[in-house]
Amino acid sequence: MTVAIVGAGITGLACAAELAPGERVEVFDRIPVAGGVHGWRAPETVALERSALRAGAILRLGVTAIRWEDGRLLAVGPDGVHRLPASVLVVASGTRPLTRAELGLAGGRPAGVVPAPVACHLAENGLLAGRRPCVVGGGDWAHRACHELLAAGAAAVTMLAPDRLRRPMPDGVDVVEGLSPTAVEGGPRVTALVAGEEWIACDAVVLAHGLAPLRNVEGAVWDAPGVVHAQPLDDPATVAGAREAGLRAAAEVRALIGSKAAA
Amino acid sequence: MPPDDGHGRRDYDVVVVGGGVVGCAIAWRLGFTTARVALVEAAHDVGEGASKGNTGIATCGADCTPGTLEADLVTRSSPRWEELCASLDTPWRRIGTLAVATTAKEERDLCHLRDQARENGCRADVVTGDEARALEPLIAAKARAAVHIPDDGIVDSLRLTVGYAELAARNGVAVLTGAPVTGIDREDGRIAAVRTARGRLAARFVVNAAGLEAGRISALAGGDEFEMWPRQGQYWLLDRELGGRFAKIVGGVPTEVTRGIYCVPTTNGSLLLGPTAVDAEYPGDRAVDAETLGSVFAAAQRLVPAVRRDQAIKLFAANRPASDPVYRVGRDSRVANLVHAAGIRSTGVSSSPATADLVHSLLADAGAPVDVGDASAERSLPPLPRLLGNPDPERLLDLDPRYGQIVCACEQVTAAEIAAACAMRVPPRSLDALRKRTRAAGGRCQGTVCLAGVSFLLSLHMGMQPWEIPVGEPEATLGVAS
Repeated sequence: MTVAIVGAGITGLACAAELAPGERVEVFDRIPVAGGVHGWRAPETVALERSALRAGAILRLGVTAIRWEDGRLLAVGPDGVHRLPASVLVVASGTRPLTRAELGLAGGRPAGVVPAPVACHLAENGLLAGRRPCVVGGGDWAHRACHELLAAGAAAVTMLAPDRLRRPMPDGVDVVEGLSPTAVEGGPRVTALVAGEEWIACDAVVLAHGLAPLRNVEGAVWDAPGVVHAQPLDDPATVAGAREAGLRAAAEVRALIGSKAAA
Repeated sequence: MPPDDGHGRRDYDVVVVGGGVVGCAIAWRLGFTTARVALVEAAHDVGEGASKGNTGIATCGADCTPGTLEADLVTRSSPRWEELCASLDTPWRRIGTLAVATTAKEERDLCHLRDQARENGCRADVVTGDEARALEPLIAAKARAAVHIPDDGIVDSLRLTVGYAELAARNGVAVLTGAPVTGIDREDGRIAAVRTARGRLAARFVVNAAGLEAGRISALAGGDEFEMWPRQGQYWLLDRELGGRFAKIVGGVPTEVTRGIYCVPTTNGSLLLGPTAVDAEYPGDRAVDAETLGSVFAAAQRLVPAVRRDQAIKLFAANRPASDPVYRVGRDSRVANLVHAAGIRSTGVSSSPATADLVHSLLADAGAPVDVGDASAERSLPPLPRLLGNPDPERLLDLDPRYGQIVCACEQVTAAEIAAACAMRVPPRSLDALRKRTRAAGGRCQGTVCLAGVSFLLSLHMGMQPWEIPVGEPEATLGVAS
């Protein structure tokens, strides 16, 4: 039987390494390296990638899976189009913070309301989403965004954490705990984040709260026959948690294959 | 300073003020003539006002008041959509509407809606609740009956507006964005020139299609006095995993006050819920509030119980240009070389082709040199293929290997599509403008994954730093200088 896995992060690699000795496994990732958010050079990534390959899994890195239709995965990459008939599709494509709509933020549409991954990506390139940003959230993405923004030269960073922080706040960050954001104010650029009665003055709002699964394979966004979702929403995320999710997915795949064989 | 129109001209037979769907349609129509035409738009892109915040319904005119100019223009536009949208590379589908009655009173009103539709020459039938559910299984079990209006369609109104402007530009119309009108010069009671932030344009005739600014433009020209005000609509945009299951536009029964809340599947598969209709104070106010959005959602859920709040990908508001009377399309009573296409409040998309024809004939009546067809004019835009849903991706990659580089994962927008958009005659000058043309960053994650990459690509095409890239208007940039 063939198993297609979307996402070559820790979860996808762990699932592949577990299944590849018995099944034909192909792993797709839109990024040209394995590891996902954990990073391609991390020892855990290197070790899992090696054991997946040794078990016979095929890694298709830099190839984006786009459609799951009639038991076939369609993927495209710079090398061309891939069509893979598969018994099971494992979606292990990671997570993202909640969007403005998912947070239900009211107000207008000023510039400077930026998802945390975008703010981090800009900051890594020396570009600032704002000089006095307000980061919404208290988990992995919020801590990372605060760190990156300060490193890129932000003058002052406020963290608005809707839930109580479960880890030390980053140095040099003002933390407001226990308030949920309700609206953004300002135009053309954001001037404040509103949380009930509180107004937090800022020139950027960085959306880093909550986690949602990233699902972009048409036909496998919601539950669908032959599809296993493996996207742990742990915050903080751990390698152990990601690996466990991969192993759980592998067990689900085996059960699906078993029931197909029985039928 | 001469305007930077790429044509080296400063004098025009016709200057169209306003680059919404109405102004762009007029420019498109005039592009088929030998007249020298300019379109001036205050914002950084066409389609930045009401034209980017509407339901995307191209109505056949069933619920227009019979005998009005609006009903006439909408019903005359309706049969043209297939050909028009094919020529403008604009997504379009004639899927029909179900106006659903859930109460006994609404059920009684259905006959009126059907009769009115038929008076407008539109096909319409009253169907039972079961028949309605056979046409659209998603509608509520408590739907008692409905009017089925098979000829309503859905259109990508953003692509339509850009498409009108793009074909106009290819046919020689100077499309000047970022050019707000600062003054109008008059000589002997006629308009002599339109002054904009991008220079003075001598004008033999002027079309006022300035939407919410139409009253101000008329006043600057010394023309008829009228007032425009914003009528705000708030919307939910839901994921295409739900929208893609819709077969019909689903609405309630219109009242005398409002057409009501609709569930509208969009041409890109997502689902719009809305709009509200509340007179707003400031034209620039596009704020949403939880209470109004809650009422929209509740109304939509009565029609389609399957809608869920956690399917929301965007919450937004837009302002339609309201006035009294609506549809002020005609020659000014004081200024002989001024034609208004104003007060087109709710059905601007639906009436745009016929409105463009009407304005063309009004200009001809006024003596504008718009009566000679340009034999060399292009009749259609070259289609730009998209990867999303494409049945033959191999062919696309053969065409351009950049179709293999997906930039926006949610909407599956590739580097090839972004490059093609940036090469347009009316190119994107902001992230919003790029989204209108390609859908990049317009999907379920709203750019969470791709916006940095999209801005890097756009910055290469625009020759700007990524943080300088405007989100919408030029002063609203993605980042700040570090």
